Amino acid sequence: MNLAIETKDLTKTYKTSSGPQSVVKNLDLQVERGEIFGFLGPNGAGKTTTIKILLGIIDSTSGEASVLGNPAGDIESHKKLSYLPEKPYYYEHMTGVEIMQFYASLFGIKDRDLCERLLNRVNLGNDMNRPISQYSKGMQQRIGLAQSLLNDPELLFLDEPTGGLDPIAHIEIRDLILKFRDEGRTVFISSHELSDVERICDRVAIINKGELVHQGRLDQLLSGGRIEITADNLTEEIANKFRGDDFTVSFKNGRLIADIPDSAHPGEMLDAIRAANGDIVSVIPRRKRLEDLFLESVAGDNVLKGRKMSKMTDDHNAAEAVEVTTEEGAN
Amino acid sequence: MGAILSIAKTTIGEAIRRRVLLVILLVGVLFLVIAPGLSVLSLRQNYTVLTSFTLGVIQLTSAVIAIVLTVYLLPNEVERRTIYTILSKPVYRWHFLLGKYLGAVGALGMMMLLMSTVLVLVFRIMQQQASMDDVLQLATAPIFFFVQMSLLAAVAMFFSTFVSPIVNFFLSGGVYLVGTLFSPVFQDLSNNQTLPAAVKGAATVIHSIVPNFAQYNIQGGIINQGPELRSIELYYVQIVVYALFYIAAFLIAGMMIFDRKEV
Ligand SMILES: Nc1ncnc2c1ncn2[C@@H]1O[C@H](COP(=O)(O)OP(=O)(O)OP(=O)(O)O)[C@@H](O)[C@H]1O
Ligand SMILES: [Mg+2]
Repeated sequence: MNLAIETKDLTKTYKTSSGPQSVVKNLDLQVERGEIFGFLGPNGAGKTTTIKILLGIIDSTSGEASVLGNPAGDIESHKKLSYLPEKPYYYEHMTGVEIMQFYASLFGIKDRDLCERLLNRVNLGNDMNRPISQYSKGMQQRIGLAQSLLNDPELLFLDEPTGGLDPIAHIEIRDLILKFRDEGRTVFISSHELSDVERICDRVAIINKGELVHQGRLDQLLSGGRIEITADNLTEEIANKFRGDDFTVSFKNGRLIADIPDSAHPGEMLDAIRAANGDIVSVIPRRKRLEDLFLESVAGDNVLKGRKMSKMTDDHNAAEAVEVTTEEGAN
Repeated sequence: MGAILSIAKTTIGEAIRRRVLLVILLVGVLFLVIAPGLSVLSLRQNYTVLTSFTLGVIQLTSAVIAIVLTVYLLPNEVERRTIYTILSKPVYRWHFLLGKYLGAVGALGMMMLLMSTVLVLVFRIMQQQASMDDVLQLATAPIFFFVQMSLLAAVAMFFSTFVSPIVNFFLSGGVYLVGTLFSPVFQDLSNNQTLPAAVKGAATVIHSIVPNFAQYNIQGGIINQGPELRSIELYYVQIVVYALFYIAAFLIAGMMIFDRKEV
């Protein structure tokens, strides 16, 4: 298949004062043409580093990366791609339209009309003659998108395109990105806005500490939702009966809260509750959220252990909580 | 080519707005304007003293501007991440470096042109007795300062591909001082037959690596030139070719380092 981006065993190791540190480890990515690909991971996971390697701004230590069929960094590919860095900065002394003309000239384009059209497209038509120094963060982000369209790119790299934007600007940019896909472009987007990613991406990859944890179609990764059952007037006995591998069951003051996979037929549990004369308060099917997948992927980090622990308030979880603490102490 | 010129143009636009450079320029211009009024100089109304003082002001101001301007060009681009958007376009790194250099030289040229204009005006007004020929003669000196500063900017550009701006400031400044003050000394040493070979060799190496900045000080230096110098025009051509050669060498070396650099 003709992939827009493909990496094999991509590794980047920095020499630091505390020895060599791999910030990207044996990464295998496949990005198909025409899709919006979400590239996720916690701060410092290696997202920006990977993008820089794909653009040839830095070299990988080992492994392969190809972009639009050429090795990463190839100038021919650069004619057909564009990049919006995280927290970009533009020469402040220039006006919006001057910046656009500057970037256009790097492609050998001298078309002022095109620059103005693109500025209008991102709603900067009225501000194009103002210096960039007067632009708000949102306007700077939008001019970044406008410049990224100058060469009518097949592939766009957007590194946190909605970082620091208000909800309205957010939605605007999200819609723009969706239009990019309609126009047949491939979008490689790194973002911490999981709800956005969930809404617009076709496929995602989640990396943690430089390693790929998940990659695939979003609908497949998020299949397997869960069901939450809450019931009152029960005894601990019934709670114990259902505790198992994939069942999270808590019990306090006669109230049972069970979180079970939707593949485990809930009827059995509901019958048991009724048989024990319990009152069913609610049965809520919950689709797996990208957030769940994300947290699951990066679990094992101390931050998350803390987060997990704070959720465990019930008595019966105390043992588990202690376990986690010891584990953490051992680290 | 278009990309190189666009980058150069943008660099000029940014450089001529940099406050620190404008302040240095202003101080230089101020000295030029008050020079004729300075008591030490006006005491004897000595044309030669005034000439060398004002030319010295232009030279020093230009050298400081050349260094301060150039040492920050690449590091600033990296720090502000402007370089990423540029390098993700079909722009080679050497395009970028050359564009930055040409921009530095362009901005420097504009600032030096301003100072030279002030110089000529000051002499026209203050030294009514000076002929137009004298003034023209005077104005040729800054032209060769400009060649000298372009060379200095190339040195600073080269260093900026691998050292921090502050270190670069002292390195480039040091190379300039050595090349201005001691070049004739090293030249003499390397030609001196009575010296041990090792000393001669070392002098030759230094003399060929450190550019000879002294030869661009048309005022004093020219008198000391050897008998092989047939005409002043030939000398001018010679030192310009020398500068172009060294500029190319420093830029190419810089490009080679910059090409492998992680930005
Ligand atoms: N030049 C460098 N030398 C050493 N380590 C570096 C260098 N550049 C980046 N790193 C490290 O590489 C890791 C990955 O950084 P990167 O910027 O790729 O993360 P990221 O996933 O983009 O994070 P964020 O979401 O915060 O933007 C970080 O731990 C960072 O400290
Ligand atoms: Mg990042």
